[in-house]
Amino acid sequence: MFPFTTFRPVVCLVALALSQTPAPTPQAPRPMSFSATLTSIKVNARPGQVITRQFQLTLDADQPRTHFKAKVEDWWRSQDGQQSVYAAPGTLRHSCAPWTSLNPVESGVGPGDTLTVRITVTLPRELATGGYWCALTVDEVPDPAAASGGIGVHFVASVSTGIFLYVGPVEREATILGLRVDGDQAIVKVRNDGNTPLGIEGRLQFFVPGATTPAATIDLPRGTLLTEPVVEGEFGVGLPSPAALPAGRYLVRAVLDIGADHDIGAEREIVLTRSGQSSAVR
Amino acid sequence: MKTSPWKTASRAMLGLCFLAVGSRAAEAQTTVTLPDTSQTTLFTATVSEQARVIVPASVSFSVTNVANTTAASSASVTIDRIVLATATKQLKVSVQAAAAAFTPPVVGATTWAAGDISWNAATWTRATGAAGTLSSSAFTQIATCDANAADCSTTGLVFTLGAKPTVVRSGNHTIVVTWKVESIGS
Repeated sequence: MFPFTTFRPVVCLVALALSQTPAPTPQAPRPMSFSATLTSIKVNARPGQVITRQFQLTLDADQPRTHFKAKVEDWWRSQDGQQSVYAAPGTLRHSCAPWTSLNPVESGVGPGDTLTVRITVTLPRELATGGYWCALTVDEVPDPAAASGGIGVHFVASVSTGIFLYVGPVEREATILGLRVDGDQAIVKVRNDGNTPLGIEGRLQFFVPGATTPAATIDLPRGTLLTEPVVEGEFGVGLPSPAALPAGRYLVRAVLDIGADHDIGAEREIVLTRSGQSSAVR
Repeated sequence: MKTSPWKTASRAMLGLCFLAVGSRAAEAQTTVTLPDTSQTTLFTATVSEQARVIVPASVSFSVTNVANTTAASSASVTIDRIVLATATKQLKVSVQAAAAAFTPPVVGATTWAAGDISWNAATWTRATGAAGTLSSSAFTQIATCDANAADCSTTGLVFTLGAKPTVVRSGNHTIVVTWKVESIGS
């Protein structure tokens, strides 16, 4: 038998200990993590053709069950490439979104499970030649129960890949509008003069005046230039270190592969300063 | 069982005949070289462009003075297991708000706009970070992974909430923001 007189001080001590224990610090929610296929669909298509592909997303095993919603959208980038805009299907004249269907459009995915979305593109029988495009987007659906208190941001994740349909004959044509160095970035400005989106990549060569071999060559990462609503785009790449490309006067040559049977090029003289200030262009 | 001597002799003759015919056939044959003397099976793995994405689920701003800017704790972002079609393709990481403003704790109360959130040009491993301001109409770039990188990451992405002296209600002010991982290329 536990004597009450002994028990009461024990209870008080426990209560005192509990009152001294700091309140548990709220743990940051677990990061969202998943893997996804990112292959853009690129097809030389014919009017009336039906194309099917798949997109897959696999939730990491330590994640809670999560809902995802798939949709097809119109898509374009700002001229400087810093912003991407997603809009309702059919916003652009060359949108393929109205012809594209998805199955399923919404699904819950368990930990470690894979969501497979079947993509079906049915091209109209009457279709002008040229390039058409849209974006497949798979969004995490916000979970209201996961919203944390206080002042803050609740994040959801989204993945987008491109769908490009080329209805021949396509004309891949472009003009280099400008070439400049801004800070530590070399930037080429290009206009799409054809009837299809262009994948643009290439190289920039820096020649010391009179030299026949470049002092430095920089590969330009691949970018995309659409035919609407923004037909001009800037494609930038970081300069090499000042040790590799010191300040000075250079003849800068841009050679771009736009997917046509020939490259396009331009060159101009640039006085390069490596102090972080903009360089003069002549 | 007994076999007659006649039958035995007949079988011996027949055997000699077959042998003779077989010898003539062997003299007529030609050697043919087969294109391949072994059977092979070609194994092909079709590898999709792919990546794993790890992004924070939330960030909190501990606002103790609405007249000052408030920085959140550093956030971590990782894109790994990157497999792309060419060495010049890149993944872009960007964000967009789902609404033009936070949802205030009380309907109609003054709160922050999406554009009151900004971020730093964080130091990234194998990516170039860009400072920016949140928009609800476009995804604004936070980083571009380097071309040919198998992964890119940061632990130093800091979101900052601008000063808003006109906020007069305490409580939950929240906004949903979408992380976008793009691999869209013609």
